[in-house]
Amino acid sequence: MNGFKFSVRKLISLSLAACTALSMMSVTAFADEPYRPYTYDNWDTAIPSQAGYTVKRTVTGKDMRLDKLSDPADPLFYNEEASDSLSEARDFFVYDDKEIWVADTGNSRILRLNTDFEVTGRYYFINGPTKLDPSAGEIALTEDGTGSMLKEPQGLFVMKSPTTGKQTIFIADYANARVVRASVDSATQLTMEQEYIKPTEKLYTSKTFNPTKVIVDYAENVYAVVKSVNTGSVQFKKDGSFTGFYGANRVEVTAKVVAQKLWRKVASNAQIEGMTRNVPVEYANFDIDNEGFIYTVTEVSTDTDAVKKINPAGYNIWDNVVGNDYNFGDHTDAVWDMATKKTYATKLTDIAISDEGLINVLDFETGRVFQYDRLCNLICIFGTKNSAADQRGSFSSPNAVEALDDYVIVLEGAKTRNDITVFERTSFGENLHKAFSYYDEGLYVEASPYWNEVIKRDGGYTYAHIGLGKADLKNHEYRKAMKRFKIANDKKDYDKAFEYYREQWLQDHFTLIAIVLLGLVVLSIVVKIIRSNGITRLRRRMMEVD
Amino acid sequence: MYEFSTLGWVRHVCFHPTEGFEDLRWKKQGSVKLSLFIVLLLFIAMVANNRMVGFAFNTNTVKVFNVVPLVVQSVVYFATWVIGNWCICTLLDGEGTLKKICIYSAYALVPYILCSYAAVILSNFLILEEAIWVNFFNYLGMGWSIVLMISAMKAVHQYSLIKTLISIVLTLVAMLLILFLAILLLSLFQQVYVFVYTIYTEIAYRIRG
Repeated sequence: MNGFKFSVRKLISLSLAACTALSMMSVTAFADEPYRPYTYDNWDTAIPSQAGYTVKRTVTGKDMRLDKLSDPADPLFYNEEASDSLSEARDFFVYDDKEIWVADTGNSRILRLNTDFEVTGRYYFINGPTKLDPSAGEIALTEDGTGSMLKEPQGLFVMKSPTTGKQTIFIADYANARVVRASVDSATQLTMEQEYIKPTEKLYTSKTFNPTKVIVDYAENVYAVVKSVNTGSVQFKKDGSFTGFYGANRVEVTAKVVAQKLWRKVASNAQIEGMTRNVPVEYANFDIDNEGFIYTVTEVSTDTDAVKKINPAGYNIWDNVVGNDYNFGDHTDAVWDMATKKTYATKLTDIAISDEGLINVLDFETGRVFQYDRLCNLICIFGTKNSAADQRGSFSSPNAVEALDDYVIVLEGAKTRNDITVFERTSFGENLHKAFSYYDEGLYVEASPYWNEVIKRDGGYTYAHIGLGKADLKNHEYRKAMKRFKIANDKKDYDKAFEYYREQWLQDHFTLIAIVLLGLVVLSIVVKIIRSNGITRLRRRMMEVD
Repeated sequence: MYEFSTLGWVRHVCFHPTEGFEDLRWKKQGSVKLSLFIVLLLFIAMVANNRMVGFAFNTNTVKVFNVVPLVVQSVVYFATWVIGNWCICTLLDGEGTLKKICIYSAYALVPYILCSYAAVILSNFLILEEAIWVNFFNYLGMGWSIVLMISAMKAVHQYSLIKTLISIVLTLVAMLLILFLAILLLSLFQQVYVFVYTIYTEIAYRIRG
């Protein structure tokens, strides 16, 4: 009896062990993102989706070979103490899909990397005279006194100057209170071309001038986001003169703002002085696309001016107040994250426009990159916030996002971790991009094979159904199109498809309809005649017979 | 004069908004069974409006369908209307009995119900540009029923027009009160249930040791 019991127990434990072993094997073969990819459907609810991007590699200072900077034998040698890692890097810039320029803020230097992310240049100083006063402690000069040091550069912009034809870098030299325009002479030397310092005009009311981000348009006008200046970006002409502010945000209308506006009407001057002023939020970052439109992002958790596309006149094209419905970031105000057990509110910190016009928006709070096509349709979402375990594809303070060829790179600039994460397109993402590029041009039929590939991988992908529906519409298959639009909950397009379908149906069945109508008319006349004459007379006659 | 079938009376009151209900009262006609059936039709109309309206016209969230709010919006609202009206008008020297109020109110709803069926059917053949026809039927039904309802309340209680309107406003207040008390009662009973259930589980654990 005891022996039997023992053998049963043995059997059970053995089979359990086998089960665990088998399941372990399947787990080890399973490599995935540290988050669940999702997207939004037409009901504004988050639904699971496939990953459009996946992490290819993460690049640390060591991978960049930053040790070259402290190696006396190397041409990039700066000094023995040069740090071999990034430190709280705030911004980077992709130049012509060939070079990546990193503003290594904590180390007060600029780095140039090639597409393999190996360092090919390092810049600690700028040759040439400065407008700032070194004796007043405003700036530190190089040892030989011919140049000035960089101090906590937070933003940069690199372009080939249309006037000089040289590769030119613009640096938002944060702690030195200047924006520098310099030509790139070699792997270590920059030469000052222009220096943009705090404007002396009365229009500029801020006490300080600490530029955090900089961009340049084709006319070589310089736009700088300056800390605690909320009247828009500060705009300079090429020659260094201040021309004004550009593209300010508006004050978001909340109940508090309205209440204060009412109070101001009745309050005395002395009371008004004591009130806080309602001022717009300064924007966090901006980017410029090939056509000269400037895109700004603002770190507010609401949708007033969170993302703007500004035309040269300073007018926001993506203005929801005039009836558009543009939506960026998470559609919910706050997101509960299971992994970290915290609530995150959207805080869009950087925007990058790729050469194909794809818009990548980086959310600092959730560590997510939201990718949109040029019509602001959400393509995919990837990346996540750091949890306790530091995993690839998760961030604790993602500071910048850029598009490099088909890759999307994200700069992590936390105190403890500094690296660049390279996201690679999956085949799902590739199909999405091809489909969207045709879709945006109105080539719906050409896009449909790619949408079919998308649907194979994610049957709930809303735009795939809309795209296929539009292709059906073009092929005059209205019934099929209606079905597609119904799945995608696209009422407007459904209505269009139904209009055509109804027209076609009426045309196809016109003879039948005409015959039925005619028949009904004839029938009603006959019935009337029989009622008024035949039946009554018949009945009367029968009654007479009775 | 005025010898109609049960359905004939419904037709008569609908097409004679001023005199129809007086005739109905004079002839002591009207069927409770039919009025309950009309309320059922109202509920079905609400469901149809939610589920069977043309896709482009459907503003409801079609992802989930919950029948409870529709029951509340039709059957429960009607019941509270009848009870509330009876409560108010008994105090205001109204002549209507509970049964009569139920019958007359239900008859007054007929145009609204028929028009919403018509709108639902039409919406399956129309595009959004022609939405005015769907709206026309909805507004027509609603307006017609409101006129009939005022006339019905006037006839059933033998009020003047002003008094009728006042009694209707008071009835709406009474409906709010009834619904508020009902919700209060419901939540209280829920708490009592939870309390009893907790005691039951506690005892059950103790008995099991």
